[in-house]
Amino acid sequence: MAKKLKLNLITPQKQLLSDLEVDMIVLPALLGEMGILPGHIPVLVQLTYGDLRYKKDGKDFDFAVMGGFVEVKDDDTVNVFAEGADLADEIDEEAESQKIKKAKDALSKKDADIDFELAEIELKQAITRMKVKRRKLN
Amino acid sequence: MESLRDIRQNIKAIKSTQQIMQTMKMISNARIRKAQDAMTAARPFATKMLEMVRDLTPEVLALPQPQDGPETWASRLFVNRTADPNKIGLIVITGDKGLTGSFNAVVLRAAMRFIKEHQEKEIFVFTIGKKGRDFLSRLRLDNLHIVYESVGIFPKVSYAHAELLGEAVLKHFLKNNLHSITLIYNDFKSLASQNLVEETILPFTPGAKTEKNFSEEFTFEPGILDIFKLMVPRLVKANMYRILLESQAANLAATTSAMDAASKNAGEIVSALGLKLNKVRQAGITNEILDIVNGAEALNN
Repeated sequence: MAKKLKLNLITPQKQLLSDLEVDMIVLPALLGEMGILPGHIPVLVQLTYGDLRYKKDGKDFDFAVMGGFVEVKDDDTVNVFAEGADLADEIDEEAESQKIKKAKDALSKKDADIDFELAEIELKQAITRMKVKRRKLN
Repeated sequence: MESLRDIRQNIKAIKSTQQIMQTMKMISNARIRKAQDAMTAARPFATKMLEMVRDLTPEVLALPQPQDGPETWASRLFVNRTADPNKIGLIVITGDKGLTGSFNAVVLRAAMRFIKEHQEKEIFVFTIGKKGRDFLSRLRLDNLHIVYESVGIFPKVSYAHAELLGEAVLKHFLKNNLHSITLIYNDFKSLASQNLVEETILPFTPGAKTEKNFSEEFTFEPGILDIFKLMVPRLVKANMYRILLESQAANLAATTSAMDAASKNAGEIVSALGLKLNKVRQAGITNEILDIVNGAEALNN
């Protein structure tokens, strides 16, 4: 049997994947996409907003991750510490486009009351989710 | 002597209070489950993160670092070389409401003792929960600065709350050059008991230098220091999140057991009053019979 990677996907809220055996992982690293196969050298990589993909039994699975970092160990364990993560199949496009609209509205108002950073983060997250979802559908 | 009507009214009042308490108990009981799940779900992130940061610390400290400039802060979080010993931080986490037994009192008593012990120092206070905020702001001490307050977040703690708190903690820790930050809160031990915890959360204690040499074994992308600087705030926030969840679950557990005890007490009072009611009624009947018998005897004579 071919070697497998053990994938852990952890967010502050929840451990989403625990020691899941997968064949390949593609990460949205800060300096560009990065593919991981079994036998990869140990690395510690910073992540950006984007699409985390893994292949298991010939099927692709997509997560929209919101930054964080990844630790690849020499025993083929991959620990992903993500600020947030959503499975592409569970993303609701309708809800996301509404979120984008709301965040954009908030940003354009230039009202002193609203939290710009928060709105910006929300916008970024919603856009990421949309992108991942669209890509998955195509 | 109370009249029958008084006692009946009293029983009615206590019974309706008991019903309220039972409802409160059921509500918090239902919420506990959810709070507990969130708490356990949040644990792996915080623990694994801490492990990694501890492993990395000795190596980051061994790196050549400029004496001043942005780079030094990473090391300051751990060894705190240049901090002002007369400035410290205190985070107090209480509930928003009473009716939780000694839940809030225990925390506030510990906070009070802490403040007395450090009378001569400047204390920067972060309060979570209405009870703690009210209590500490009423103290009006000159050396007490409330720099962050957050109320009404229980029982719906989210990661966003932890982020705000974590950010404020880090900001003041660095900006005001605090010597240390102490945290006082109730830990969730079991459904029946809470544990008062008083711990120093900053500066971190670095892990011992392990045999594993990260910088040789691992490749870093981008550099080790960049990643480290990113990790530390995340760790602080994840830790805050964990602690808020613990506190939330403990608060709900305390409400449940306090309300349980209170409704049991109410039950006892009701049954005691019931006995009294019967006695008074019986005494009344006996008196009436006596009157009738006496009246009849008087007529006979």
